[in-house]
Amino acid sequence: MEASDRELMGRLARGDRDALAPLMERHSRRVHRIALAYLRNVDDALDVVQDTFVKAFEHAARWNADSEVAPWLARIAVNQSIDRYRREKRRRASFEPLAEGDHHESLSSQLPSPEARASGSETSLRIAAALRSLPERQRAVFVLRHYEELSLEEIAGILEMRLGTVKSSLHRAIHEMRRRLQGLRA
Amino acid sequence: MSLRSLLHERWRTRVSLLAAGCLEGGEQQATLLHLDACGECRREHEAALAMLETLAADPARDAELPVPVEFLVTRVEARVAALTRSRGFRWARLAYSLAVAAALFVVLPWILPPLVPPVVDRVVKRTVEPVAPIAVEPVAMDDAALRRVERTVAREQAVRYLSEAQDVLMTVASTPRSCLLEDRHLDLSEESRRSRELVSRRALLVALDDDSVASARLVIDDVDHVLREVARLDPCANPEAVARVQQQMEQDRLLMKIRLMSRELVG
Repeated sequence: MEASDRELMGRLARGDRDALAPLMERHSRRVHRIALAYLRNVDDALDVVQDTFVKAFEHAARWNADSEVAPWLARIAVNQSIDRYRREKRRRASFEPLAEGDHHESLSSQLPSPEARASGSETSLRIAAALRSLPERQRAVFVLRHYEELSLEEIAGILEMRLGTVKSSLHRAIHEMRRRLQGLRA
Repeated sequence: MSLRSLLHERWRTRVSLLAAGCLEGGEQQATLLHLDACGECRREHEAALAMLETLAADPARDAELPVPVEFLVTRVEARVAALTRSRGFRWARLAYSLAVAAALFVVLPWILPPLVPPVVDRVVKRTVEPVAPIAVEPVAMDDAALRRVERTVAREQAVRYLSEAQDVLMTVASTPRSCLLEDRHLDLSEESRRSRELVSRRALLVALDDDSVASARLVIDDVDHVLREVARLDPCANPEAVARVQQQMEQDRLLMKIRLMSRELVG
């Protein structure tokens, strides 16, 4: 019989590295989807998958045995995605000095690379640009709702936000996405 | 903001949540009734639904992992192992430093006075006593120790060989680059070259007759076989030929075998 997520987490907390493989086998696709939807970059998303499970191993002892493993991993994945996004933003900013107050808009509207243009459809690129324009937490709420189809309560738990804040964040995100994707048809 | 627009803003939030499928029961009914009465909110609702429909076609929604999970597992395990080692090393170093400091604290008061004799004594002794020749004794290493060193080296060589092969095969298994010279072909020139190199270096790299790596012999044979296939691929490889190699690797669960064997050899 296969070990449950809880058993695997227990083993991980005791430093048993063999528990990593089955845990990754079960959850890495979902973690990857979250990271990819958030970052819109295949390489960065793969790095986030690895970072998420390394963090899970490091902090397994802090995992609350009464809670589910999937939301806990989703929380790590979102935080890792936000960290990576910030690092990338800082890196770009250091290479391309921008006028005060222009950072957010300029970074979000950057043109995709020639490779991305060749490989991605117009729809995908416009969605990526629109998602990048959202503030970090709003984007996380939107991704978890529309890419992972989680309930608002689950999102509130994962992001450690109040339910009311999740609702207003989702509303603002939908409003902004609608504005940016106006005229685009699937 | 007037009270009316404030109230309307609350409706707009509910309209967004309705479009997102997040409203239920009474709240859902109330919002639907409001939509019947408010043209502005109805238009917003329709626009939000259209946007979400567009979003449903985003390929990122159903994205699969572009590399086998085993690839990621191997990488994560290596990072975790390094982390554990560095942690253990940090603690060991700290414990060692503390032990040395404690020993010096206890021992120094006894040994310092005899080590620092009066200056006059030292001068007299230096003139009187001739310097004794330093005796160099050959370092003796028994057979068992030598054998241990040999086994460690053999295992390290096998692990290095598997690690290099793994790097090559990962690229073949995941997403090879498109070839710039030929349309719809894959650029595996580097992997092909490295495979040839590994195949020719195998005899030098791996002492397969050594007992300590005997368990790895079958895996290394499988790896060698696939590396030969990769080495035979054209630099601008036909995707079907690459797919055959990928299929063989998948059937053999080769990447997983490499991972498990490497771990076993590392111990």
